[in-house]
Amino acid sequence: MEHPSKSSTLRLGLLVLGALAVLTAAEFAIALTINIWQILAVIPILKALLVFYYYMHITRLFEEDKDLNRESFSYKLATNRIGLWLFLISDSFIFGGLMISRINLLGLTRPDLIQYLGLGVTTVLLISSFFANRAEVSMEYGDHKQFIRSISLTIGLGILFLIGVLGVEWRLAPFGPETNLAGAIFYVMTGFHAFHVFTGMIFLLIVLRNGRRMLYSAEKHWAVEASVVYWHFVDVVWFFFYPALYLIGTLAQS
Amino acid sequence: MRKLYSIGLIRGLLWQILGTAIGIGILTGIRVLMRLPAWKAESAVVFGALLGSLFFLYGVGAVDDWIKVAAGKEVSEPDESGWGRRRYFGVSYDHKVIGIQYLVLSLVLMVVGGSFALTFRSELASTGLQFLTLMEYNTLMSLHGMVMIIGILVGVAAFMNYLIPLMIGARDMAFPRLNAFGFWLAVPASIILLSSMALGGFDTGWTGYPPLSVRAPIGVQMFFLGVSLAGMGTIVSSLNVLTTAIRMRADGMTGFRLPIFVWGSLATSFISLTATQLIGLSFQMVMFERLFGMGFFDPAKGGNPILFQHLFWFYSHPAVYVFVLPGLGIISELLPVFARKPLYGYKWVAISSFGIALIGFLVWGHHMFASGMAQYLRVPFMYSTLLVAVPTGVKFFSWLGTLWRGKIVFPVPMLFVLAGIVVFLLGGLTGPPNATVATDLQLTDTYFIVGHFHDTMFGGYIFPFFAAIYFWFPKMTGRRLNETLGKIHFWLMAPAFIVLSTLMMRIGLLGMRRRIADYDPTLNLAVDNRVMTAAGFLIALGILVFIINAFWSMRNGEITTGNVWNSRSPEWQVPSPMPVHNYDKPFEVVGEPYDYGLPGSVYVKFKEAE
Repeated sequence: MEHPSKSSTLRLGLLVLGALAVLTAAEFAIALTINIWQILAVIPILKALLVFYYYMHITRLFEEDKDLNRESFSYKLATNRIGLWLFLISDSFIFGGLMISRINLLGLTRPDLIQYLGLGVTTVLLISSFFANRAEVSMEYGDHKQFIRSISLTIGLGILFLIGVLGVEWRLAPFGPETNLAGAIFYVMTGFHAFHVFTGMIFLLIVLRNGRRMLYSAEKHWAVEASVVYWHFVDVVWFFFYPALYLIGTLAQS
Repeated sequence: MRKLYSIGLIRGLLWQILGTAIGIGILTGIRVLMRLPAWKAESAVVFGALLGSLFFLYGVGAVDDWIKVAAGKEVSEPDESGWGRRRYFGVSYDHKVIGIQYLVLSLVLMVVGGSFALTFRSELASTGLQFLTLMEYNTLMSLHGMVMIIGILVGVAAFMNYLIPLMIGARDMAFPRLNAFGFWLAVPASIILLSSMALGGFDTGWTGYPPLSVRAPIGVQMFFLGVSLAGMGTIVSSLNVLTTAIRMRADGMTGFRLPIFVWGSLATSFISLTATQLIGLSFQMVMFERLFGMGFFDPAKGGNPILFQHLFWFYSHPAVYVFVLPGLGIISELLPVFARKPLYGYKWVAISSFGIALIGFLVWGHHMFASGMAQYLRVPFMYSTLLVAVPTGVKFFSWLGTLWRGKIVFPVPMLFVLAGIVVFLLGGLTGPPNATVATDLQLTDTYFIVGHFHDTMFGGYIFPFFAAIYFWFPKMTGRRLNETLGKIHFWLMAPAFIVLSTLMMRIGLLGMRRRIADYDPTLNLAVDNRVMTAAGFLIALGILVFIINAFWSMRNGEITTGNVWNSRSPEWQVPSPMPVHNYDKPFEVVGEPYDYGLPGSVYVKFKEAE
């Protein structure tokens, strides 16, 4: 199979980011104007599919093994990929459970939150996903400098996201976890998600540290791929949580 | 001292104590900094227990290699061949060692859970309260349920870990470190779960429904936390099983040449990989409700207690298939060996495991017929539940077809297999009355349910589990369990259990409610209850005989290194006990797995060294 050039792969990443940004903007605009929940429920699915295909490389799971020797690196790599995706499937059930709780308890109402802050943190996380992809692509082509730059940016944006959610939104929200149902749901959903962002950042930091010590190469960088795929997954979760918390429905009575 | 500290388990326990103390200290410190009243027992204990379990994992050494990888150091698989008995008390990456560790933990947990049952069963022997307070009774009864469930999950993991790599010809599991991590997570989880007794106990039953569990003593937090941690252990273990079975099969081992046990384990792992998250979530939500006042399940704040039940049963019903599918796999595995005939309808049996698992995801609502769930949901849940009988029936049909005109022999494992079939049939036939809405509304929360449940658990798990221990003990140790003691164990346990469970159903129909510490003398149930208590002690005696047998046979049992049961499975084609890295020569699958008694048929062929 012929490998696409590095610049075209990077350009593809940028295109996907553009598409995701357009969809997010559409989401926001629809929420402000007509607020039809069916549309707001479909858009995150589209966004998730884009990320699964272009950023998380779901198709790699179905590639045939190049080397059938069980001890070879490529065979173990494919095994690791299956393990990681099984973990993501498992993890998505906990977020699914949270979504079901939110739908059951709040229905077509939503907590009273700062709209522009929500859009802001969503954008930040989206851009961080783009840089995570850029970091992985750089590593695939052996460009260590760009890898370090991109992964540092990813981590920085992740910190910004956590500050936005935990530092600002949690403090400014007009309710506490015990005030009402909307508050309870808001804190538990953002809390679970922030915990995943936090663990993802630990993985990225480890990858950054080991990357600076030149422990990864274009051929062998499973740790980079795994932590980046996990980061994308956390982003995909936010695709669903963002409309569920900020956009869908009318304001809940407090 | 130093020698003691070098044993992983003891090191882990010391670290757990340290971590718990540090956790309590940190939380109190934070409260002081936040100008809250310094001491709040509940949050301090929860945080302490959580940190304690993390410290345990560090102390025992289950995360050492990951820390090394994160620090950028090289890791290698240790050569464990010279470690001797020490391997079993610390972190080992060998799936056979982990399997036996799981097995021992499972037996310990089940003895503990069983002794709880004996205690409160003695209390029930006559009316009135004799020696337990109501709270003690409730705590023992609730813990009996959950300790047994964790014990069974651990036991399932024991056989999946021990057998799957051997059956599919892999050198080890796909992720050996994750495997060890999963096991060592179960140890602090069990300790935390049992520590609930010291913290005031809890009176919610094993289901922990809010709003009752929101008002229960602090012990219930340990129950929630212990179960959540044990759940994480099962998730990583099932992830490992799935990946191993997908990626590590020997050449020629196509889907329809996999042993039935592996099929059952795959279905089981599929359930526990996905659904376990939801019991963890539901329990954690109650923990948050208690700690932070979030009103998910509090109607006063607009919450919905029924939501908890949906989340809870979405796991907890499929969980029973997690318990029984490997057990039914063991039955299908052993029957052809002792009937000397091919397994009847192999393909259908293989598919039926997945059929049960998939339907099992759609039936959780049948636990909630009387709970105030939306009325229109009852009928679909009733039909989906009744549908489970179809794939289960396929299995029974296959077992009968396998026994039909077989040359049956009756060593101890076969006795347990047959008892498993009979008892599981009893459990299966008493299922539809519970699944049908009209009858369930009469039967719900009576001892009939308890009898049905214990029948399915003993038939689907306990008896096959003992069959598997008797069957694979020679493989694990190179010695055989004593047959006479084994028969004593069987004849003490099986009849006593059938008496016990049948009487449970009888008193249930006569109006005895489940979970209660006392019953009305005018119901005339005292005799039945006394017989049940006696039967319970007979079962315990049987288990005692088994434990003595296991310890005795480990040293003095008849030495058997060959193919004791004349099985076709690959692990029996090499001498026992297995060498550290399993098969010296890889094998290739060239035929059907269960073609017993057919002349000239071959299942596996070992490749000559190239």
